[in-house]
Amino acid sequence: MGLIREFKNLRGRRDWRGRSTTPRSAEPYELAPEPTQFPTAWARTRAARVVRFGLQRGVLKSVAWTQTRPVVRGTEYLDGVPGPVIFVANHASHLDAPLILGSVPRRFAHRVAVGAAADYFFDARWRAVVTSLVFNAFPIERHSDRRQRSLAPTLLGEGWSLLLFPESSRSQDGWMSGMRLGAAHLCCSRNIPAVPIALRGTFAAMPRGRNWPMPGRPGVVVRYGRPLWPAEGESPRDFHQRIVTAVARLWSEEELGWYRSLRLTPRAATTRTVGPQGASWRRVWAATRELPVTDSRPTRRVWPAGPR
Amino acid sequence: MSRPGFVLEVDERTPSLLVHEGDGFRLERFPLGTRVVYPPDSLPALPDVDAAIRRALLHPVDAEPLPALLRAGMRLTIVFDDISIPLPQMRPPDIRQRVIEQVLEFAAEAGVDDVELVAANSLHRRMTPAELKRIVGERVFRAFFPAHLRNHDAEDPDGLTHLGTTRHGEDVEINRRAAESDLIVYVNVNLTAMSGGSKSVTVGLASYRSLRHHHNVHTLRHSRSFNDPANSAMHHSYDRMADVLNDHVKVFTVETTVNSDAFPTQLGFLNRREWEWRLADQAAYLAVKRANDLTPPKLRRQLWQRNNAPYGVTGVHAGAPASVHPLTLANVHRQQLTEVPGQSDIGVWGLPYICPYNVNSIMNPILVMSLGLGYFFNLYRNQPIVRPGGVAIFYHPMPNEFHPVHHPSYIDFFEEVLSETTDPVAIETKYEQQYATDPWYVHLYRKSYAYHGVHPFYMWYWGAHAMEHLGDVIFVGADRRTAARMGFRAASTLNDALEMARDTVGSSPSITYLHAPPLTLADVR
Amino acid sequence: MLALEYRRSPARFLTVRGASSTRFGARMSGALATNVAPLRLVNHAEPARPATGWTRLKPLLSGICGSDLSLLTGRSSPYLGALVSMPFVPGHEVVAETLDDLPGLARGTRVVVDPVLSCVARAVPPCRWCQVGRHSRCDRITGGRLAAGLQTGFCTDTGGGWSRRMLAHASQLHPVPDGLDDHRAVLTEPLACAIHSVRRVAIPDGAAALVVGAGTVGLLTVLALRAATRVGPIYVIAKHGHQRERARALGATEVFEPSRAARALRRACGGTLEHPVLGPEFLLGGADLAYECSGAASGLDTALRLVRAGGTVVLSGMPSGRVDLTPVWFRELRLVGSYASDGRGVPEGADGASTADAAGAADGSGVAEPGDEPADRAGQFAEALTLAAAAPLDGYVNAVYSLSRWREAIGHAARAGELGTIKVAFDPRRN
Repeated sequence: MGLIREFKNLRGRRDWRGRSTTPRSAEPYELAPEPTQFPTAWARTRAARVVRFGLQRGVLKSVAWTQTRPVVRGTEYLDGVPGPVIFVANHASHLDAPLILGSVPRRFAHRVAVGAAADYFFDARWRAVVTSLVFNAFPIERHSDRRQRSLAPTLLGEGWSLLLFPESSRSQDGWMSGMRLGAAHLCCSRNIPAVPIALRGTFAAMPRGRNWPMPGRPGVVVRYGRPLWPAEGESPRDFHQRIVTAVARLWSEEELGWYRSLRLTPRAATTRTVGPQGASWRRVWAATRELPVTDSRPTRRVWPAGPR
Repeated sequence: MSRPGFVLEVDERTPSLLVHEGDGFRLERFPLGTRVVYPPDSLPALPDVDAAIRRALLHPVDAEPLPALLRAGMRLTIVFDDISIPLPQMRPPDIRQRVIEQVLEFAAEAGVDDVELVAANSLHRRMTPAELKRIVGERVFRAFFPAHLRNHDAEDPDGLTHLGTTRHGEDVEINRRAAESDLIVYVNVNLTAMSGGSKSVTVGLASYRSLRHHHNVHTLRHSRSFNDPANSAMHHSYDRMADVLNDHVKVFTVETTVNSDAFPTQLGFLNRREWEWRLADQAAYLAVKRANDLTPPKLRRQLWQRNNAPYGVTGVHAGAPASVHPLTLANVHRQQLTEVPGQSDIGVWGLPYICPYNVNSIMNPILVMSLGLGYFFNLYRNQPIVRPGGVAIFYHPMPNEFHPVHHPSYIDFFEEVLSETTDPVAIETKYEQQYATDPWYVHLYRKSYAYHGVHPFYMWYWGAHAMEHLGDVIFVGADRRTAARMGFRAASTLNDALEMARDTVGSSPSITYLHAPPLTLADVR
Repeated sequence: MLALEYRRSPARFLTVRGASSTRFGARMSGALATNVAPLRLVNHAEPARPATGWTRLKPLLSGICGSDLSLLTGRSSPYLGALVSMPFVPGHEVVAETLDDLPGLARGTRVVVDPVLSCVARAVPPCRWCQVGRHSRCDRITGGRLAAGLQTGFCTDTGGGWSRRMLAHASQLHPVPDGLDDHRAVLTEPLACAIHSVRRVAIPDGAAALVVGAGTVGLLTVLALRAATRVGPIYVIAKHGHQRERARALGATEVFEPSRAARALRRACGGTLEHPVLGPEFLLGGADLAYECSGAASGLDTALRLVRAGGTVVLSGMPSGRVDLTPVWFRELRLVGSYASDGRGVPEGADGASTADAAGAADGSGVAEPGDEPADRAGQFAEALTLAAAAPLDGYVNAVYSLSRWREAIGHAARAGELGTIKVAFDPRRN
């Protein structure tokens, strides 16, 4: 009964299509009909994108999110950031790309291309097809002078964001090694922001040589940082240094908390990411140490603790 | 370019119009000739909020850039608006979080170690850790809570400083930590024209001793309206207090404004003008309305409370409070001000599910009254939309429900005080002191999550101007007993209400319906 | 002779008791009392005068008491089973006319009956309590010439008020002044009980009292408190609107609905309100003393939860059901019983003791207490008669039934509060 009455009330003074005539006094404020353009460019890649999105969210993400316990922080910094951007992350595991692609806001997930080592991923045809389809990967020449010049600027020009791992190779022992300048060059030349990302725990979760995460749902952390814009006239080298510092600070946030990590000097920050010097087992040992308790499930505390 | 607000005159073509009523809404067919005040369309949001914040902090109005005000070894207190604004709560990340983070980044750069964050909750209930976290963001929360991120405690005997009195003899007493800081950075969200400016620190961090000078019947009756600071005795008092404050402590204020995207896209029809509803909107209306009506009340309330507004930020201004506030007000007016020609005999308002004091809580009858006769009635400049002696018709079911933890003194106020009298002055003289000093209420305010004992009085004073102005108040759809206890009348339909209003305003009254939310500030000429 | 007779039927008693303890049954208690309880209308031969000192009475009005209803709805305690003799005719709130001449009391005098059947009526040497005029504490209510029975109305030998004839001993009778009409006079017995209850503890001047329940007992307790003590504010918990107005008229300071009693009392008396996870809220703080006048377990529970530490709770209503006694332990409360009335006209412990604490300490020791001296049996009844004449008690007995309409009467009494009635009474003379 109520529904029928409601329906009648709603339909009153509307035509059969449910449109209402604009009241006389509202006519001066009528909305102009929205210009509708039917885009055609995306049609060629749409199928691929739909499939890719399905694979990324349906397979990669579900595997990564069921086999590990990811904690994702800082995606809100991407709100309001116009694309394209370059995501710059440290690299220690095959989990890295799925974790980032699975956590990046949907807006970016649809239009992000991943830089992948040409000599590995594009070596065999089937692997190249799979990698391209699944990751929207584009080849990066690691050992050549032509690196990145080929496709990256074009992609950026078309509005694709890039995900780059400037360490160029997965870490041997879980600690960071030197980053290359390419990302900074791209940012400075095209004046687009770099988004620093630090991944923690992925080495322990799925180190080199494994093709499935460690059992027991190890915890991993994906931290996005505030997008960095190249300043007017800033040299790529300086900008690169800022990116490296930002990634390093994000890396340190796990142990230090945000504010203390912010206050690290660039030098201190990078030092922390390099890990202990000494025998490689000690480095691996330190890198696989369990992360400090993450805040994915904060302990419920009704009464705040008193001042310390 | 978004459209300005305008006044619709209901004619034969006008479909039924949407009216909010508590945890729900209805379509109402208004009599021909009814004037309906629509707010301007939601303004476009700033594309890059973080950049806007940065710009505001680096190029403040009438103040040095924030970095220049920060130095190592200083005492910095960051004060922010509490959970009472914006309404509904903002979809994270909260604008306050964004501002605070940038301020902290500057502070970190400058090497400031002594940083405290204080919520300006005044006599409102404390915010839970989760609520604080939601406002300041996870990072700030982790870095500062609980030792350096706190709610203001207006009853902490050691936590208050009396800064002096104004030339009108008003006590200015605020949070000690803030008063003794080298710099207060106040982070505000300016949802309505009444907030911000001098109010921020002098009210947000004040004590009862200080608040009673402007939160009283006399002041409220001479604040016409309190959404028009120039004509508000209340705001004049704030300004005097701010003068005293400025002699003691430097305040750097960051004021932000949001557009009117109060509801998510699924509920888009709530933001759209009814004659422009597409089929999808109508289907959504039917589905949501039906589902909402069938939902058990408790669950329904929870669902509504879970609504996060996808607000866009329309402006960020920083600097000296007195210089920043006019810019902020201009933004608020740009979003809310609609010119209305003349008053009418009857004003109609649909009261939504939320007011500043029932976030994550229950809208009790006193809050309904304060939302209707306080906030919504006072959404005007120059003169009310109803003529003196006219009739106000509100929509709200007004169930006799109270949140036992958040509003303990409200329950007693409703049962004890309102059963005696509803006259604000009588209530103020006879009961206010008792409730304000009741040690149990003080205890609950400080240690639990209760509003201060005196808060229901303020709610009642909020409506004092309207009660004096109006000839009759009718609530459509309200619980009769509850309405009667508060001195109002209840009607089951608009037609009944108009019938009841006939005694006061005659048989062919002029009617104005203020279509809100989204909030509309009627500039009545 | 027409009479309503309650006979022995454990099966019926237990059935009613079981049924009325359920939620649904509690709502149907009126129907249970009238249909299942072992009460019936009988026609017996008129009783003869058993001995000198006794008289036959013709009841004019006979009230239905809360304890009668408890019995009929099976809520009363089996404890009392040993103190009654069946079958009996209920009715102990009686205003009647004497049918025999007694020394100093001519035939045809209007009297009210003090129902307690103590040593004098039983023709046994007075026990220690009867010696000092405290016959409500009589130890010999099961002995002597009469069958067991704590009061007229529970004893098979005397009959009761719910009939056309009954017997009473001269010591039980108090002549009603001419100015006092039957409708007020029938309230004398409960009023005497109320006066007794406010004398059970010495109430310091200005103490805050809470009265739980605003039926006959509650209202008359308010009246007695105002008349016989110098109590301060009196707060009453009342369910129904008419009770609220009556309580105020009798001198209650404020009247609360049950649901908001705790909060309102906290506002009035101070303290903090605590919410246990399970069970009702309670106060740390609250009234100085409370009178439980509802006869319900929930009423006593409320009283215990709303009295301040060291306070006193007086049981005026006949207790029923189980109650959590934790507050008595934790708040160190004193739980004081108050049964019927006696001849003492002075507050117990009033001499020298000025606080409620002291009053309680002096109580119940079993030995002769300070102030124990022989007293005229008239005591509290005389006071009650005076008070009944003066107090605004009009309209308290506004439902009078003939014996033959007893089902309606009992049903009405079971819902008296809702129906705007304080006291339902039988007029046995009616047909």
